[in-house]
Amino acid sequence: MSDIGSDGVLAGVKELSPVQKTLAHGLVFLVLFGGWELGSRMGYVNELIMPAPTSIAYRLYEMFFVTGSIYWHYIITMYEATMGFIIGVSIGMGLAITAAISPVFRRYWAPYAVVFNVTPGIAVTPFIIAWFGFGWSSKIALAALVCFFPPFINTLTGLLNIDKDATELFRSLGSTKKQYFQKCQIPSALPIIIAGLKLAMTGALIGTIVAQFFSASEGVGILMQRFAFRLNMDGSFAALIVMSLMGLSLFTLMEYMDYKVLYWRRHSRMEEVSAKRKKQWLKQNGDMSQA
Amino acid sequence: MSNDQEASISNIELNAQYTGSLGGAVIRHTLIFFVVMFIWEMANRTGFSNPLLLPRPTDIAASIWKIYVTQGNVWYHLWVTFQEAMLGCLIGSVIGIALAVAAVLSDSFRQFLKPYIIIVEATPRIALGPIFVTWFGFGMSSKVALAALVCFFAPFVNTITGLLGVQEESYELFRSLGATRRQVFWRLMIPTALPTMNAGLKLAVGSAFGGALVAEFISAQAGMGILMARYTMSLNMPSAFAGLLSITLYGFLLFRTMEVIDKRVLYWLDDDLMAKKSAKREIKYRQELGL
Amino acid sequence: MAEDIVISGSGLRKQFNENVIAVEDANFTIPRGSFISLVGPSGCGKSTLLRLISGLIEKSEGDLLVRSNEVVGPRSDIGMMFQKAVLLDWRTSIENVLLPDEIRGTIDTDAKKRAWDHLQLVGLKDFEFSFPRQLSGGMQQRVALARLLQTGADIMLLDEPFGALDEFTRERLNDELLRIVEGPDITTLFVTHNIQEAIYLADQVFVMTPRPGRIAAQIKIDLPTPRNIDMTTTPEFNNYVQQVRDVLSGHLDGQPL
Repeated sequence: MSDIGSDGVLAGVKELSPVQKTLAHGLVFLVLFGGWELGSRMGYVNELIMPAPTSIAYRLYEMFFVTGSIYWHYIITMYEATMGFIIGVSIGMGLAITAAISPVFRRYWAPYAVVFNVTPGIAVTPFIIAWFGFGWSSKIALAALVCFFPPFINTLTGLLNIDKDATELFRSLGSTKKQYFQKCQIPSALPIIIAGLKLAMTGALIGTIVAQFFSASEGVGILMQRFAFRLNMDGSFAALIVMSLMGLSLFTLMEYMDYKVLYWRRHSRMEEVSAKRKKQWLKQNGDMSQA
Repeated sequence: MSNDQEASISNIELNAQYTGSLGGAVIRHTLIFFVVMFIWEMANRTGFSNPLLLPRPTDIAASIWKIYVTQGNVWYHLWVTFQEAMLGCLIGSVIGIALAVAAVLSDSFRQFLKPYIIIVEATPRIALGPIFVTWFGFGMSSKVALAALVCFFAPFVNTITGLLGVQEESYELFRSLGATRRQVFWRLMIPTALPTMNAGLKLAVGSAFGGALVAEFISAQAGMGILMARYTMSLNMPSAFAGLLSITLYGFLLFRTMEVIDKRVLYWLDDDLMAKKSAKREIKYRQELGL
Repeated sequence: MAEDIVISGSGLRKQFNENVIAVEDANFTIPRGSFISLVGPSGCGKSTLLRLISGLIEKSEGDLLVRSNEVVGPRSDIGMMFQKAVLLDWRTSIENVLLPDEIRGTIDTDAKKRAWDHLQLVGLKDFEFSFPRQLSGGMQQRVALARLLQTGADIMLLDEPFGALDEFTRERLNDELLRIVEGPDITTLFVTHNIQEAIYLADQVFVMTPRPGRIAAQIKIDLPTPRNIDMTTTPEFNNYVQQVRDVLSGHLDGQPL
C-alpha cells in the first residue's frame, strides 16, 4: 500500500500553489466582507443588528489606540482565565494521578466523577458568584471549575491505557513504580494529556466570560454585554473579536506547546531533535566509530 | 481540530479490582455517602460552616420536596430549559453535520472553510450570548440560538473526522465494484463515520444545556438558569442546590439515554446485540432461500 | 498469437509527482487462465501496477490493454482483494458478499443463493451470518474471497491478500485459492513480497525492483500442478528462489531496506 498515492474518491483536486491559495482565500474574504459592508451601507442590513465591518474595525482601532480602554479589561480577563486554568488543571491532574495510582481512591471517587461529567460546569455559576462575590475570585473559581474536567479525564485515561507490552517490558527490566510512572506512564500519556489541556484552555476562557456576564464590573465579557444591551452593536462585535483574539492567542500557545513537547509525533521535529541529540552525544562521548 | 484519543468516563475501568461482592461495594459506597452527609449536616448545625453558603443536606432535601411537590414550580422551568436545549441541539447538530458533509465532499469548500473554522474554534462561542439576546429578544429563541451555536462544533468536527477516517482500501473496493458516489456515501462513508458522529452528538447535548443555561443567566423570564440565579441572589441556597441537583439528575438521565441509543444504533460494536441481529437476519435469509 | 492474451502492457509508465516514478517501462503479456505473481520489496510499484490494471488509477504513458481494450476505469470483469479484508462491520458475512450485487442493482434470490454457495466454497459454513468482528483474520479474508467470487470477475487482482495472516493460515488459504482459481477461465495476478509464496502459487513470476519500479525479470515456473507443500523443498523450487534472489540482489546491493 505504501507505494501508491492517496487517490480515493475524495481526490482529484489540483493542488494550488501557496500564492494561489492565499489569493483565493483573500478573494473569498474580500467578497464576503465587501458584500457585508455594501449591504450595510445600502441599508439592506440593519446597522443595529449587523454593523458594517468598517464600523467594527473603527471601534477596535478606537479601543486599542485612541482611548486604550480595552487594555485593562483584556488584562483582567486573561489574568482570571489563566489563574483559573492553572488551578483547574492542577486539581484535575492531581486527582487523576491519585486515581491512577490508587485503585481505592479510584473506586470511591468514580460515582462522583460521573456526576461531574454530566453537570454542565457553568450551571454552577450562580453559586460561585454567591460564594466568591462579584470580584476576580469568582471568575477564577468558575474558570477553574469549568476547565478541571478535561485534564482530569484525559490524564486518567492516558495513565491507565498503557500498552500492555510496554508495562511488561518495564516489569521484566525490574523497574520501580516510580521509574515506570516517570519513564513509561507519563510520556505515553502526554499526547492525550495535552489534548486535555487544550480543551481546558478554552474552558477556562468560557468560564471567565460567563462569570463576567453573570456579574462583573470589569473584563471583556461585561464590556461586551454592556455594549450589546445599549444596542451599541459595533462595540459589542469589537469586544467579540477581542475575545476571539484571546482565544486564538491561547490556542496558538497550546499548539506551540504541543509542537515543542510532542516532538516525536512530527517528522520535521524528530529530525531537529535527533540532530541535536547526536551533537550532544558526540560532545560527551566522542566519535565512537573512530575507536 | 485534533481528535487525539477518545477520553470519556466510560472508557475507563474506574471500578477496578472490587475485592468484595457487588452488594458489598454498594453498601460501602452508601455508607461513605451517609457519613459525608452526616458530617456536613453536623458541621452546619454546630456552626462550623455557614448554612447560608453551604446549606444542610436536610434543608436541601426539604427544598427538593418543596419545588417538586408542594410548590411544584420547578417542572415548568425544567420544561422550558429542556425545550431550549433540545431544539438548540437539533438545529446545531443539523447545521454542524451538514457543513461537515459539504466540507468532506467538496475539497474546495473545505479549503475555504479552514481559516474560518480555526477562528470559530478559538472564539469562546458562548460569548455571543449578549448579542443573541439583543438579536432574538428575551424569550426562548435567543436561548435556542445560543444552544445551537455552542453545540454545533462537536458534531461538525466529529463528522469530518469520521468521514475522513474511511480507509483508502474501502474506497478502492467500492470503486472497483463500480459504485456511484451516492452509494459510496450512504453505504460506506456514513456507517463508517457513525460511531464518531454519535460521540459528537453526545457532547453536543451536554453543551446545548450549558448554552441554554448561560443565555438564561444573561436574561430570561423562565428556565432553570434564571430559577437558580434568583434563588442564589435571594440567598435561598437550599432551593438553589435543589435546582442544581435536578440539572445533574436530568443531565445524567439524558446522557444514559444517549448511550442506550448509541449502543442500539451501533449494534456492530456490541457482542450481545451482534449475536441477536445475526440470528434475526439468518431466519430471514433462510426463509427466502428456502434452506 | 498462440495463446489467448487477456492483459498486455507495453512501455507502461506511472509517475505520481516529479520524483516518484512508481512504474517505469513495463512490458508484459498475461495469457488467459494463468496465475502471475508480482514479487518485490516494498515500494517497487507492484501495488501500483495492480491498480493500473484494475483501472483505479490512470497510467501516465504507454499502452495497457485488457481484452484488447484500453483500460479507462474499473470494469466488471476485474475483481480485487486487498491485504485488509475491507469488510463492512455492520453487515453479516453474507451481506458483505452480496455487496457487489447491491451496488450493481442485481440483488435477487438467485444472487443470494450464489452468495450462500460462495461462502460454502471458501469454507465458511455456519458463519454466514456472523459479523466481521466475530471472525478471525483468516475467516475475514475468506469472506473477502467469497465477495470477489460473487463479482463474477474472471480477472482477479490480489494485493497481498494474506499478508497480514500467520504462516499456517496463509499456507492453507493459498492452497484453497489455487483450488478455486484453477482452470482455464480465471486469470490471477497476485502481489506478494514473499518469494517462496510467489513461486509456489504461480505459473509465472514477475520480479519487480524499486526506484524506479521496473519489471526486472519474468520467470516461468515449470513445476507440476496441482502444487503441494512438499515441492517447496525440491531443488527445482530452490533454484527458482535463487533466480529471484539474484535478480533482486543485483538491484538492491548496498541499499538499506
